[in-house]
Amino acid sequence: MTVFENLSSRIRRRGFLAGAAVFATLLAGCAENAPQDTFEPAGPNARKIDGLQRELFYISGIVGIIVLAAVAYAVWKFKDRGQDIPEQTHGNPKLEILLTILPAIILVVVAVPTVSAVFELDKKDNDCIINVTGQQWWWEYDYSGTCGGVEITEPIVTSGELVIPAGTPVLLRITSRDVIHSFWIPRLNGKRDAVPGRLHTLRLEADQPGMYTGQCTEFCGLSHARMRQAAVALTPADFQTWVNNQLEPYSANAPEAGTTAAVGEETFIAQCSRCHQVDDLTTAGKDDAGNDITVPVLAEPDRYVVSGSAPNLTNLMTRTAFAGWTFDLLTEECRDRLWNAPPDEFGALYLQGVTPECFDETNLREWLRNPPAMKPMYTDPNNLAASDGKTRGMPNLNLTQDQIDQLVAYLLERK
Amino acid sequence: MFTTGSKLFFGATALSLVGAIVYSASTDGPSGTMGTIGLLSAAAVFGFLAGINFSNRDGNVPAMQQGVELTSAAAARPVRNSIWPLIAAVGAAGLVVGAVSKPVVFKVAVVAVLAALVEWMVQGWSERASDDPQHNDQVRRRMLYPLEFPILAAAGGGAIVYALSRVLLASDKDLGKIVFGIIAVLVLFGGFVFAGKRHVKRSTVTAVCTVGAVALLGVGVASAVQGQRTIDEHPTTATNSAVCLEEGSEAEIDEHASQDVSAKSSVLAHVYLQSDGSLVVQVTGYTEPPSTLTVPRSTPVTVLFHNDFSSPERLTGRFGTFGTAPEAIQCTTAVNPGKTAFLNFEIPRGNAASSSDLEFLVPGTGSTIVIVVP
Ligand code: HEC
Ligand SMILES: [Cu+2]
Repeated sequence: MTVFENLSSRIRRRGFLAGAAVFATLLAGCAENAPQDTFEPAGPNARKIDGLQRELFYISGIVGIIVLAAVAYAVWKFKDRGQDIPEQTHGNPKLEILLTILPAIILVVVAVPTVSAVFELDKKDNDCIINVTGQQWWWEYDYSGTCGGVEITEPIVTSGELVIPAGTPVLLRITSRDVIHSFWIPRLNGKRDAVPGRLHTLRLEADQPGMYTGQCTEFCGLSHARMRQAAVALTPADFQTWVNNQLEPYSANAPEAGTTAAVGEETFIAQCSRCHQVDDLTTAGKDDAGNDITVPVLAEPDRYVVSGSAPNLTNLMTRTAFAGWTFDLLTEECRDRLWNAPPDEFGALYLQGVTPECFDETNLREWLRNPPAMKPMYTDPNNLAASDGKTRGMPNLNLTQDQIDQLVAYLLERK
Repeated sequence: MFTTGSKLFFGATALSLVGAIVYSASTDGPSGTMGTIGLLSAAAVFGFLAGINFSNRDGNVPAMQQGVELTSAAAARPVRNSIWPLIAAVGAAGLVVGAVSKPVVFKVAVVAVLAALVEWMVQGWSERASDDPQHNDQVRRRMLYPLEFPILAAAGGGAIVYALSRVLLASDKDLGKIVFGIIAVLVLFGGFVFAGKRHVKRSTVTAVCTVGAVALLGVGVASAVQGQRTIDEHPTTATNSAVCLEEGSEAEIDEHASQDVSAKSSVLAHVYLQSDGSLVVQVTGYTEPPSTLTVPRSTPVTVLFHNDFSSPERLTGRFGTFGTAPEAIQCTTAVNPGKTAFLNFEIPRGNAASSSDLEFLVPGTGSTIVIVVP
């Protein structure tokens, strides 16, 4: 083989690889099961963004084609065929003015819908306000006041799954407890950074009941990739049911005496409640005079966790995934059924929560056995000097198999 | 055979690989994984570089064409003296000394070593560019002037600004203004004179500038040694002090209190003390002011206090009593009518965990706003 043959075969090979890469990228765009697709807006805000980006894509696409065609023409027309060097000119005021004004006009044309969309998306009027707080590596939501006409008599604190009434503009007030995170539900709106000490707002509205997934989009440390979230839209009536259930007193779900779950409650108080709150949970104690009374069990995560918080587990089993909405609580079959449910059946299915038939125990058991093995977190007790012994995430508590059984039985009733 | 450059990179590849193996075997947990990934990545990168070096034989002509460097014209000329080996050596020594003594020595040494590296390399290269020393000089200048001039100018400018700032910090506040004015006038005047007299000798200009710069540096050093004048602190908030529960007074108002713009934007809420003495909280998104303020647990937040009352007042937050710790109280300094101040705080646990009430109040007016921490 001569040098040239060698070279041309090399070029051919590279061309093939480049082509394959482009093709693969194109194919990726055809992914069918892509729930986090901004190109499939499911609410007015996302539709505004989608509409804008489509318009801009067409305008810049046309400009791009014109420019590329002009370049191609020039390259072909004026290629060196041995002709004389053409006359050299310097400056052409008319052409230059034209080439300044034309792009300026195009930019103005582009600016009009852009600026109007920016202001439109910044609107804050709403029928529901939810506080959204990010921390390594999960989201917490708290509700108070009224939401979509539903009175929330006591604050509701939940995590991972943001339940909202469909067809209602919801204003999220987003901040962070530790580092910068970013909240994004691609099918409902753009992203918004969660910055400690600052409060940013983002309006979500879903047209239809359903599950809209997303994930943290600002690199926030070790388990950033496992900091996911979902917005769950319910019809107003279903939302009312959800709120009622969240506000149900603990006694409605308290474990029956003598069951494994009842033992689990004790284990929970001993092992877990220093970090995790279960609302209204009480235990036996003494008052100052030494009389037996019940005292509330109050979490103190600020003493053990860097972010100062851990997920509220009062209604864990009303959610479908845990730990940064990363691990399923539902079996695959039940999850698929829920995710693929038509809008009018979705709410009823979602409100069932995690039923014993649909409960995928393995994930939760594995989590309780050794959380950092499942989701990388900074919890190594020998390595916490820099944070005063506080962890980032949930440490391995070295639970026994029996304790895990009890806890799982107890947690399965939290809904 | 293996070329010089590729040997270096092959060595580095092997070293990283060995490092990765040793590291992954000797550590565990997430940091072990991260370190191993880092070392493996380094091995991959070094391997890649080794490959490139190997395949193009270091881009080294003599390696492919034995002997050309001996017969080239440039090789025939003796190289000239260079200051850079000396600077590199001093820098290297400085690195060692700085590492055990003062960080600043280390930093200066790093700069010296880097400068020597670049200058020496370019000089060495340029002296072999041709057998015409003049041309070689020109090549060197063309390469390095665009780098040297901005850096030297920035360093010179920086030194002058720094020296002047020391002078201003050491002198009395009002004197500082005068000094600043005089120097500005001198510079302007000097520029004016030189611009008008185009035929002033170059050496005169140099002399005047040098004397000026040296004088400024000298005074700057002297001032820096003497130290700064005392500068008042202007705290915005007080913590846990009894003063928070007393009415704000005119005497403590501090117009210079830190009021960073960043702290006043994107706040959690605006708290207004209205002209009738009542407190109202305005929260983004609420059309009606809510009757209570919800604050997330363990989250650093800021509220902005607006005093629309007729006398100077402060905003005080009672942020709860948790466990055995004393009650957490924080307040702004007194704020003049029509002015604002921010209060930055964090409440570790919810209302249920506090043995005292959580609220905002303005001492003396009796008005409060309940804080809800879910
Ligand atoms: C030192 C504090 C701490 C202790 C003790 C602790 N956890 Fe956790 N737990 C956390 C943190 C922090 C997270 C959030 C981790 C993440 O998702 O990144 C968490 C997450 C969870 C989750 C997922 C919740 C959700 O909604 O995503 C469950 C379930 C859980 N823990 C159960 C338990 C149980 C059961 C115990 C007692 C055996 C326990 N934890 C003890 C700190 C703790
Ligand atoms: Cu994050």
